[in-house]
Amino acid sequence: MEARAPETLSYGQIREDLFRPLSPFNARWIFTCLAAFVFVVLGLVAWGFQLHDGMGITGLKRPIFWGFYVIDFVFWIGISHAGTLISAILRLTDAQWRKPITRAAEAITVFALMIGGLFPIIHLGRAWLFYWLIPMPNDRLLWPNFRSPLVWDLTAILTYVTGSVIYLYLPLIPDVAQLARVNQTWRKKIYRLLSLGWTGSDTEWHALERAMKLMACVILAVAISVHTIVAWDFAMAISPMWHSTIFGPYFVVGAIFSGIAALMVVMSVIRRVMHLERYLTWRHFNNLALLLLLMSLLWLYFTASEHLTVWYGNEPGEMGVFGARVRGPYAPYFWAMVILNFVVPFILLGIRKLRTFTTATIASVCVLIGMWLERYLIVVATLGNPRLSSAHAVYAPTWIELAITAATFAAMVLLYMIFAKMFPIIAVWEFKPHPREDD
Amino acid sequence: MTWLIGEFRKHEELADAIRDLRGSGFTAEDIEVFSEEPVELRKGVLDRPSKMSLTAVLTAMAFGTLATWFVYYAQNDYRLRSGGMPYFSFWSTGVITYESTMLGAILAIFGAFLWESRLFRRRHPHAPIPECPPNSICLRVHCAKINAEIGASTLREHGAVEVKQCD
Repeated sequence: MEARAPETLSYGQIREDLFRPLSPFNARWIFTCLAAFVFVVLGLVAWGFQLHDGMGITGLKRPIFWGFYVIDFVFWIGISHAGTLISAILRLTDAQWRKPITRAAEAITVFALMIGGLFPIIHLGRAWLFYWLIPMPNDRLLWPNFRSPLVWDLTAILTYVTGSVIYLYLPLIPDVAQLARVNQTWRKKIYRLLSLGWTGSDTEWHALERAMKLMACVILAVAISVHTIVAWDFAMAISPMWHSTIFGPYFVVGAIFSGIAALMVVMSVIRRVMHLERYLTWRHFNNLALLLLLMSLLWLYFTASEHLTVWYGNEPGEMGVFGARVRGPYAPYFWAMVILNFVVPFILLGIRKLRTFTTATIASVCVLIGMWLERYLIVVATLGNPRLSSAHAVYAPTWIELAITAATFAAMVLLYMIFAKMFPIIAVWEFKPHPREDD
Repeated sequence: MTWLIGEFRKHEELADAIRDLRGSGFTAEDIEVFSEEPVELRKGVLDRPSKMSLTAVLTAMAFGTLATWFVYYAQNDYRLRSGGMPYFSFWSTGVITYESTMLGAILAIFGAFLWESRLFRRRHPHAPIPECPPNSICLRVHCAKINAEIGASTLREHGAVEVKQCD
């Protein structure tokens, strides 16, 4: 491997390196896509069964009406924060090291939102009545109830998806224009269409840079609001351990935490599979690992605050959920969550000698599992232990929920692989420091 | 009318050439820089004024106001029992107002980008687009044929490695 710093390479060389993975489909790529596709189809079949037979074939029953679907919804919306944090915050602070990782992060955001946004529809049961959420009078002349957090979710996710797609698309335009010039396959037409006739004039560059700066500001505000609204889905209900004022920031921190972890896992895979070792260097992993460590500490702080105030308040309803979490039936999940979200990252990333590519990836995978467990605990432990003690219940998902959940992970893999085969996963034009007149 | 295309290797030389051309009466509309990456020139050399921020703010305000009015209208058009809560309250509508405001800003930024980048309204749709070699910056100047020689000599004077004229 050549030891030259990638910033010193010519654009020709960078383009050659980053456009190479887009060349013909190989057997490994096709096999992985097919495997992911099979899981997606299985998930669709499961959803088909659910639509045909009704929600009774899932594990959802009174009083646990929110199960895997809401857990997955919160999980994927959280993952979508990867793009926002890495790209928007680092772009606004002009952090140069972000450049090779922004597009990978922005793509995660778009795909995670597409997947996460499906869950409210799956969870509705009668998915064909989805249009009742749209702000127009339904068959009974009723308008949607705008006080409902479900309508808030729709508005927030619609805004976030629109913003994220534009935020991913804008910096893609110059690279797509280059691809339209050099590519001679069937994709040329697609690239030409997407490039909108980009010529690289200063008028275009000015407009693009200005738009990206403004979009970074707006998308940041939207991202924070979206996960806060997801938190309010819970906090607006007067259920034990949900009705909390810190739920908004707690969810935002958790979302950024899992978003960084997802980004590190994706980076680790594309670095190895696409042979981008020269571009995704230790510096990027190290910086992200430190960010992950910081978020782990913040997550611990919020979790401790949330549990300490409940314990000190000693309110019977809340203590029921608290007890179920820390020493009752959910205790194994709770302590696994603490180990995966705090102990493992703290040891692997906090001790400098242990911090390597492999350990950073392991810690990230642990965080993803830990954050999924956190959402499981929030949703199921509260609903399974309502204030009325005679109504306590246990939730066990059926194969329907498991298949749909597995399908969403497969869908993420599939969408990402197609994207990485169609477009350079690192923004070529952003990669090098741009020349200034006073340099 | 004709087009001059000069190829530069250093952006200081490019900036000097633009300054000189502007001094000779060429307007910012006549001059365009082509490159494979954004080239940042000092303020005043070749500014491209933008109303993107203003457009975003105004559209955001319009979207936010419209959304709030719409919710007010809808909640009063068919009154649902709200358990003692008011039919309309800024507390519960705040989220919709906020998200709609942001949606307005996002759409305005994208629209302003398309407008200001001139991707769909080229000033000279048939103007030649320079094929910029790697590590070079091309300057395209739109001028009357009678001024072509002055323009070309200005470009050469300031270090253009190649100057072409396209009619």
